[in-house]
Amino acid sequence: MKTRFVAAFLTFFPLIAQDREAPPPLGTPKPFAVPSGDTFTLKNGMKVTLAQYGAVPLVTVRADIAFGHANESSDQVWLSDLMAQLIAEGTTTRTAQQVANEAARMGGQLSVDIGADSSSATIEVLSEFTPDAVKLLADVLEHPLLPASELERVRGNLLRQLAVQLATPQAQANRVFAATLYPDHPYGRLFPTEDQLKRYAIDDVRKFSAANVGAQRTHLYVVGRFDPAVEQTIQAAFENWNSGPPAKRDPPNAVAKAAMVVVDRPGAVQSTLRLGLPVAIAPADADYIPMQLTNALLGGSFTSRITNNIREQKGYTYSPFSQVVTRYHSSRWLESADVTTKFTGDSIREIYFEIGRLRKDPPSAAELKGIQNFMGGIFVLQNSSNQGIIGQLSFVDLHGLPEDYLKTYIQKVNAVSRADIQRITESYLTPGKMTLVVVGDKAKIEDSLKPFQPK
Amino acid sequence: MPHIARLLPITAIGFSLASLAPAQPAASEFTVPVTYYKLSNGLKVALSRDTTAPVVLVAVYYNIGFRIEPKNRTGFAHLFEHLMFEGSKNLPKGEFDKLIEANGGLNNGSTRFDFTNYYEVVPSHVLEDMLWGEADRMKNLALNEENLKNQQGVVGNEVKVNVINQPYGGFPWLDMPQYANKNWYNAHNFYGDLADIEAATLKDAKDFSHTYYAPNNAALALVGDFDPEQARKWVEKYFGGIPASQLPPKPDLTEPRQQAEQRFTKTDKLASKPALAVAYHMPERGTPAHYAMVLLDQILLQGDDSLLTQQLVKKNGFTDSVDGGINLLGNQFNYNGPMLWIANLVHDSSVKPDQILASADSVLDSVRQKPVTQEQLNRALVKFRAHYYQDLTQFGGLGRADLMASLALFDDNPAAINTLENNLRAVTPELIQKTAQEYLRPTNRTILLVEAGAPPKDAAHSGGGQ
Repeated sequence: MKTRFVAAFLTFFPLIAQDREAPPPLGTPKPFAVPSGDTFTLKNGMKVTLAQYGAVPLVTVRADIAFGHANESSDQVWLSDLMAQLIAEGTTTRTAQQVANEAARMGGQLSVDIGADSSSATIEVLSEFTPDAVKLLADVLEHPLLPASELERVRGNLLRQLAVQLATPQAQANRVFAATLYPDHPYGRLFPTEDQLKRYAIDDVRKFSAANVGAQRTHLYVVGRFDPAVEQTIQAAFENWNSGPPAKRDPPNAVAKAAMVVVDRPGAVQSTLRLGLPVAIAPADADYIPMQLTNALLGGSFTSRITNNIREQKGYTYSPFSQVVTRYHSSRWLESADVTTKFTGDSIREIYFEIGRLRKDPPSAAELKGIQNFMGGIFVLQNSSNQGIIGQLSFVDLHGLPEDYLKTYIQKVNAVSRADIQRITESYLTPGKMTLVVVGDKAKIEDSLKPFQPK
Repeated sequence: MPHIARLLPITAIGFSLASLAPAQPAASEFTVPVTYYKLSNGLKVALSRDTTAPVVLVAVYYNIGFRIEPKNRTGFAHLFEHLMFEGSKNLPKGEFDKLIEANGGLNNGSTRFDFTNYYEVVPSHVLEDMLWGEADRMKNLALNEENLKNQQGVVGNEVKVNVINQPYGGFPWLDMPQYANKNWYNAHNFYGDLADIEAATLKDAKDFSHTYYAPNNAALALVGDFDPEQARKWVEKYFGGIPASQLPPKPDLTEPRQQAEQRFTKTDKLASKPALAVAYHMPERGTPAHYAMVLLDQILLQGDDSLLTQQLVKKNGFTDSVDGGINLLGNQFNYNGPMLWIANLVHDSSVKPDQILASADSVLDSVRQKPVTQEQLNRALVKFRAHYYQDLTQFGGLGRADLMASLALFDDNPAAINTLENNLRAVTPELIQKTAQEYLRPTNRTILLVEAGAPPKDAAHSGGGQ
């Protein structure tokens, strides 16, 4: 019989043996105030938030735009990435090299990142260049050339990146996992085909840009050390930008169902695992924060149960982790791990074992308190950097959360009960409805995977 | 090669040290407050207080990196790093991690060329426990066969996930030092052959611990919101009684001056596209030429405006990105021996490596043939400063602690952190040219080509858009 490591979880602190010193008593926690900023809206609908933060003379200027891969139809996969790369290729008054040189003169670089629901254009510069950074960002967003002359080169970049990414077992696993969870939704289409990428014309890029980029979809964040007079610069730089289209959202109606997909990778010394399911929880729901705690306790922290089991007790893997992936009005939970090939079946069994254990019994009071403290500590760190603060404010904005969401977050974390954790696990993490993806050496792992084949 | 999840020292959670006070005129300079002293057992202590957020970063740096690990035990310095999380006298396996996370903190460790570090970022009121815990594992590491075997499994999996089962695994950060260097200390597989990792014994670990994990071979850095007087008392209380060790003489790490270009080819059966890297031996850290190379790196390689990016990405379309820099497992300052400046890229098979090299050479020749403009130099300095300030504030102040601890360990002078900017300002276009002529000469170069094995089934025949 397999030994289970239940005893190891009973207490957060070691039983104090006679010859063992106890840790010194903790001091008194210091108060923490969530950073906040001033928000206003321009006539064209663009929102702006300014927040002073930081001792070092740096400022982060980031425009979040309410579109992403979720706005791509099935014949537009990565069209937004093509657009993102072309945005940096010059404006009506600046060449691409001028954009790069100007950004560098301020200490920064302009980057455009496409997300699932929200995308962003960011520049981080020395404080004294804040107004110039705002002007440069405005020019790039409002007057991009999207030049046909650069299309083939940029397309070549994306084709190369596609080939490089798909050579990794992690990307292969992510692709299949997403496609299985969301067969009819953009969230299920992580990668285009080559043929698809080759078909996009410059007009497709420009139409996609017109349909998705504009002032009323944009929220500009300026966080760091800067002269508040930048407000006038922002007004002048952005007030004439077209309002553009309103945000368009179409969240999936994903149904959790059991599935197992094995992707053969002959000779692989490890199996890359994805195990999880869609969970019908949005950030505005009461179960969202309890779900986050459940995840941290189960697999989302280093001392979590799954990590302790398959890494620290068994040595099957190096960096297992679970996460709640939050999307607009939907979420999914999954455990990810790269495990030694011969322990593929054993690893999956242990992950299911830990899920089952938490479904059956609530955590101890000490374990719950520990994970509450952990979440509170992470929250402080997340609110202690320019990009972190923008991330928090942007999360609240994207999900339409109440104004006091951040101010009451720690309070809500501390209100979660032991029974909540068990209930969340039982209600949402149903083993019989999970999708399992394994990328590995099929011939070597096939037999050990048989028990996990859905009936 | 960290303990938990990160391969390279990339920050998961950024962190800025500052105040929520009303806006003040933007300062264009930043001076790091540094208090430095030593305990009687030789432990170096560097404190930098910042009360912006109620958080403190504790970092213990040991002056032992993978470079000088035992010759028959490749990867041992890193395996030992893992063992430091496996329990000490008062904190059995897993309990230090729990003490940290269950009190709202995060921790990790990593092994680099010339140091191994352990760090925690925690709410301020947890500081004393962190000092107690770090002192406990410095003094009383508790090792056993079961935990050694467990971490041999974990580390084996780390090497597999990052190298063996990964396309471009080890390229170029693990590969290039092995090709470019001649001295074993700089040129061995520092992640470790799996056989060496498996062969490690408890006795190896105990010997290593007794030799290198001692206060006279370590630096402790604190950054954040703490009371300096109280912190000093705790440091003395918990670390003061740990005995110093007899340190062995440091081996000769010098590399011979390279006299001819070297070229190597590696086949990567998991890779889908060919790749190329070049490496040049760096001038000695802390010399004027070293500071010139720091700025040359900015001019040539860092950012969209850099000359190699403009040439190879924008003009030629050979690749989507030229990556690299000085010390791929750290930064320009946190090492203490021979170092490489590396540039690398992935390209299509329709382009031959020699075309790319010829194009890159036209850029490298240009900085050897004539001085860069003052404007280029100014831009390089501003880019450096912005990155440096970002680095100072990452992960609860880890970047700041890292530089202070490194400069304490290597130069006995953590306050030198405040001289870096001025040393860079002193670099002239003439020094840039002279440095490029000596260090960016073709005979100082190692070229590493990666030949892609079989392309993945559904990504075959991607042509690129030349």
